[in-house]
Amino acid sequence: MMSELSTVDMFVRGRGRFVDDINLLNMLHMAVVRSPFARAKILSIKGGINGKELKGTLESVGEGATEGAARTIEPVLPVDMVNYLGQPVAAVFGSTLYEAQDEMSGVEVEYEPLKPVVTIDDALSSPPIHPYTNSNIISDRWRGKPFEISAPVELEDEFYNKRVATNPIETRGIVASYDGRLTVWISTQSAHAIKEGLCSALNLSPGDVRVIQTDTGGAFGLKGGLYSEYVIASYAAMKFRRPVKWIETRREHLMASRPGRGAKGKVKLYADRDGKILGLKGEVIVDGGAYSGGMAEFSSNFIAMQMTGPYAIEKAHVRAVSVFTNKVPIGPYRGAGRPEAAFFIERMMDRLADELHMDPVELRIKNAADDRFKSPLGVEFEDSRSFIQRAASELNYSSRKGEKPGFACFVLVPATQPGESCRIVVRDGRVKVWTGGNSHGQGHDVFVRKLISQELQVPESIIDVERGDTDMLEEGVGAWGSRSAMVLGDAVVSVARKIRDQAEKELGRYTPELLLSNRYDVYNFQKHERPLNSLGANMVFAEVDEMGMVNVREVDAYYDVGVPLNRDMVEGQIIGGSIQGIGQVLSEEIAYDSQGQLLTASISDAGLRTATTAPRFVIKLADSRSSLPHGAKGLGESPTIGVPAALVRAIELVTGRRIRETPVRPEYLLGL
Amino acid sequence: MEREVSIKVNGKLYREKVEPRMLLVHFIRERLGLTGTHIGCDTTNCGACTVLLDGRAVKSCTVLAVQADGKEVTTIEGLDGEKLNPVQQAFLDTHALQCGFCTPGMIMTAYWLLSKKPDPSEQEIRDALSGNLCRCTGYVNIVRAVQEASRRMRK
Repeated sequence: MMSELSTVDMFVRGRGRFVDDINLLNMLHMAVVRSPFARAKILSIKGGINGKELKGTLESVGEGATEGAARTIEPVLPVDMVNYLGQPVAAVFGSTLYEAQDEMSGVEVEYEPLKPVVTIDDALSSPPIHPYTNSNIISDRWRGKPFEISAPVELEDEFYNKRVATNPIETRGIVASYDGRLTVWISTQSAHAIKEGLCSALNLSPGDVRVIQTDTGGAFGLKGGLYSEYVIASYAAMKFRRPVKWIETRREHLMASRPGRGAKGKVKLYADRDGKILGLKGEVIVDGGAYSGGMAEFSSNFIAMQMTGPYAIEKAHVRAVSVFTNKVPIGPYRGAGRPEAAFFIERMMDRLADELHMDPVELRIKNAADDRFKSPLGVEFEDSRSFIQRAASELNYSSRKGEKPGFACFVLVPATQPGESCRIVVRDGRVKVWTGGNSHGQGHDVFVRKLISQELQVPESIIDVERGDTDMLEEGVGAWGSRSAMVLGDAVVSVARKIRDQAEKELGRYTPELLLSNRYDVYNFQKHERPLNSLGANMVFAEVDEMGMVNVREVDAYYDVGVPLNRDMVEGQIIGGSIQGIGQVLSEEIAYDSQGQLLTASISDAGLRTATTAPRFVIKLADSRSSLPHGAKGLGESPTIGVPAALVRAIELVTGRRIRETPVRPEYLLGL
Repeated sequence: MEREVSIKVNGKLYREKVEPRMLLVHFIRERLGLTGTHIGCDTTNCGACTVLLDGRAVKSCTVLAVQADGKEVTTIEGLDGEKLNPVQQAFLDTHALQCGFCTPGMIMTAYWLLSKKPDPSEQEIRDALSGNLCRCTGYVNIVRAVQEASRRMRK
């Protein structure tokens, strides 16, 4: 029972303050005219705010930000070419949403459609989609070192995780207002990233912009970065001197919000007859979409880094490639490269076990590391052997082996760098807190309040956790990559301790009463340069009926979350993330036809799981303290990493069909 | 061509001129400022906009305001008074929400289910909620919340 959850009180009353709930006086609504083609020349464009008026590009900010080659970064609005279906080409305005939508017919765009590059294979074999590049390769790097060995067992296979939409139930949205200074209310994972992006795109100085996070109705990676619509709405607010609201429709979300996954992996394992893996070679190709920067190039390298999983594989060499296609640029989706890597290596572990007639868990234990291990591809983790042994024992693998469970292990690599910020103000007997990363459903306020209450010995009821606001906090990173419990928690503890020390110094001793009768205002950016990885394992049971429909019977998790900051919330994260992992395996996909037209027309087409069925959950936590003062480790992405890999194995075991891609369609399971 | 409608919302009668194309959800949110009813899709799939129309759960993004003329609407804001409604309280107590965006629609559907079937089975709850999508919780605690509310309301 969770009596301490006070912000959710407002949600059950319908009194949340989401971005679409904001209505300012004299506000304009914005509607966006989008490209109906995957690839076309723009011959002429008239009407609305279009690319002839509003120049600029979308700087890559937020999760997985990379610079990207300047000439292939996405423009705010295109002038000569459109490169994906749904790309914004103009924006129109009205004093109601209906009026704004009526204005869309006043925009005239003349296109000359061109043959689009839709798939990864097309990208590799077709001329470049951009005139400034020699090929459709966005980035091409190698990790690890080349090696030559001859091994008694050599196994090679190819895998594919298709694109899936992030689909938070609240879509993207923004309200921008200008009174000599731009103020933006936005549903986001990072007020500071949005501010940085807006300043760059509109050439504003940081003092000219304030970004405030509204209640954020889910994000899952979607809402950390900058999008054209944010820049256009801000520009329009400045131009018209009227507030401007833009709320994304679900259809817009499916075509023009950056989806996740979209990666192919090729893996070759070299092993001896006892199952010891001697080396791994591989290739990752990410379907980066139409423009460079951000996840489009970050992702392939990040996947490659994790391709040896939690195993002590001494030799590895992996090529990481991202390619341009005429589709919306790829973005982060819960896991953001981690689930793809786990899928590729865990699929190969199961294949190797089958090849050698070994038990898959035994094979994993055999290849695990006895001590701290740094893989040749760059991932570090602690003693994975004892962890996997404990996982198998905690989840009763041996006694339940007859039920054909899929079993998967992984290293969670959270986005700890570069750290996170926190500011605590003590005034008038209350404690106010601003944090660089904020909740979009995880309930940051609950653990922030708990940690401050513990450190300062004050009741939770006098602690107010505020939303992200760039005017109240000089710097900040954001909430993604399983980072907040760790790096934000650490920042909060560091500021609380600074205040305590300060109070003690000034007052001679520390008591909560003395603290609250004085004023303090302390800020800290707590740096993190090193990763704080942890281990996890899932075991999943499934059954498949004669129509090829999969029923997931049970999902078991054994995760090392360090000291759990709140058990209910940890379980909530695991269950919710597991259902997303099941969705990826069974039904979720953003599908295009050969012309780059979207075949996924609704949130239901996109394959979101419904309430109709749900597995039984068994959740066990290995709570070994981390090196942080409050002992936390990462969690949020673990279930989307481990569950898909375990579930496809369970399906494979009950159907006998080798599974190489997600989603797994019934027709495939039936051999049609 | 605007038309006048009379719609009772949460017990209060509103007479408003609306365009025939105006959706009930926009009437509720934009005209009346009752922003607890959310919009999550444009295809009647997600259920975030669920309200009661003459006591029946409907998705207000697929009802025109003119179709609600002369009828009675209950939104999430109409459920609680001094105290939370038992369904709202059960959602809080069982951690049945994370981001909170689907929550009002979930609660309205659950409230409607319990009003016509006070003691539903788990499968009946799941089937009733199948038109309300949640991306955060995986539904497990939402189902628990409805079971808990059912228990409390029958006491």
